[in-house]
Amino acid sequence: MTAAGWVTMIIALTVVWGGVIWCFRKVLQSPQDEKAPPGFGP
Amino acid sequence: MASAQQEQWGTKLGVILAVAGSAVGLGNFLRFPGQAAANGGGAFLIPYFTALLLLGIPIGWAEWAMGRYGGKKGFHSAPGIMGLMARGSGGRYLGVIGVLIPLGVSFYYVFIEAWTFGYFLKFLTGGLGIDVSAPIADQAATAAGFYNSFTGTVQDGILFTGDSKLTVLSWVTVFAINMYFVFRGLSKGIEKFCSYAMPAMAVLAVIVLIRVLTLGTPDPNLPDQNVVNGLGYMWNPDYSRLTNFQTWLAAAGQIFFSLSVGFGVIINYSSYMKRNDDVALSGLTASATNELFEVGFGGMITLTAAFIFLGVSGTTAAVATGSFGLGFSTLPVVFAHMGGIGNMIGAAWFFMLFLAAITSSLSMYQPAVALIKESLGWAHGKATGAIALLGTIGAILTLWFTQGGAFWSTVDFWVGTYLIFIMAGVQIIYFAWVFGMDRGWKEIHNGASIQIPRVFKFIMKYVAPVYLIIVFVGFTVQNLSASVRASWASTGSRMGMITIGATLLLLLLIVRAGEARWKREGLDLNDTQPAD
Repeated sequence: MTAAGWVTMIIALTVVWGGVIWCFRKVLQSPQDEKAPPGFGP
Repeated sequence: MASAQQEQWGTKLGVILAVAGSAVGLGNFLRFPGQAAANGGGAFLIPYFTALLLLGIPIGWAEWAMGRYGGKKGFHSAPGIMGLMARGSGGRYLGVIGVLIPLGVSFYYVFIEAWTFGYFLKFLTGGLGIDVSAPIADQAATAAGFYNSFTGTVQDGILFTGDSKLTVLSWVTVFAINMYFVFRGLSKGIEKFCSYAMPAMAVLAVIVLIRVLTLGTPDPNLPDQNVVNGLGYMWNPDYSRLTNFQTWLAAAGQIFFSLSVGFGVIINYSSYMKRNDDVALSGLTASATNELFEVGFGGMITLTAAFIFLGVSGTTAAVATGSFGLGFSTLPVVFAHMGGIGNMIGAAWFFMLFLAAITSSLSMYQPAVALIKESLGWAHGKATGAIALLGTIGAILTLWFTQGGAFWSTVDFWVGTYLIFIMAGVQIIYFAWVFGMDRGWKEIHNGASIQIPRVFKFIMKYVAPVYLIIVFVGFTVQNLSASVRASWASTGSRMGMITIGATLLLLLLIVRAGEARWKREGLDLNDTQPAD
């Protein structure tokens, strides 16, 4: 594998792994659905 | 109709995993690496990520926002939602494409899904019987022979009349699983399945990836066939390919087919979100998940494994056979060379492909179920039964007309490829130009967990439509005349065209009935009232 190949691969993997970790962290940090207490609702 | 409207996703994560599951399919592991290797290796990633940023993610955001907006107005099918966007029946009838695509693709996709399941069973019970001491050409012939027999590509009707019934049994099994989860409903069926299947798929992908990356140099007599050179085969960039329009076209096409934008699924799935649920971060997260499976796993596993055992010429030949040749003929040879653990790795690989396929196929039925429920007022069970009947008819045709794959490749080209461009174009133009970009931008950010950079407002209004038109024209020039000829060349392809026409007609009639029903019920089908 050439040096350019290594660089390309590492950048691409950083982008996709970094992207998915950032997104899921944001999703999990955002307010989750409020659960209705038992007995509420129809 | 009231019961149909009350379906909702159980959790925010659930809808993200369901959309990501819809997007992650066989193409992530089989099509992407082949496209990259054939179009500049690592250099392919430049037009690929460009198309992701300028086409895939922006059109995806528009589709998520349109779907959620439609849900607020009581619509869950693409015709109903597109009618709102277009403020008239033109959008409603164009929206039929958003149901035709997933339903038409499901006819053959579940057949291919059955291959993954059948191969999984074969590897679980001893593999394909490839003799690794034989010349490599004989090994490839054994794998290809099994593939031809299993897929019935030699002769129409062979899957029903031949000796082996494994394919039909595999199809019955996977179709029944699909119908079970669709029947269970959105939250209890599709969402629950995807919430287990997506993490399981990631675990299996990691297991296979670790095995491939630790293969080293399996044959000391062939020192060049090692992991590092295998990665080099996929990732070494050939920047000269960037001046070729074909490379940019292939990259845009890959992004399109991979992300499920313009497919009719995102618009349907997002219509079941709550009115203030986030769509901006959800859309981005679903896309990011798809990219992880495509670039992070597909880009690392498939061609690296093939290269280590087959070398440059063997891998290049495998890529030339296309996604299915690579996945179902070449990789079984590779697994056979992995020694005692090879069958288990093969089983893990094909089970992972099966999970990728079923999380996609589950999403293909829901748009049609939603259309039937809201157009005809049928209950969920009855609508699922109707789709099961249609799916069975489509599958019988697919399983019968197998010669040369003419039937399903015809449906795949027109419905699963060509119409996707059209649907995506219709969606982004209606959203940005008819619904209005200012209104659309506000709609995307309603309840959003992130602020999208404002440059995307410009991209969605101008860049994405122009980019899409260029890609569509290029694709048309490149493929249309040959595909038109091929579509009438054999009985199988002609039956494919008839199936597309008949399905389209049926869906148009259902929308016609729905239009009358929605008017009777007083729904705001032309979006004349505020949504909130």
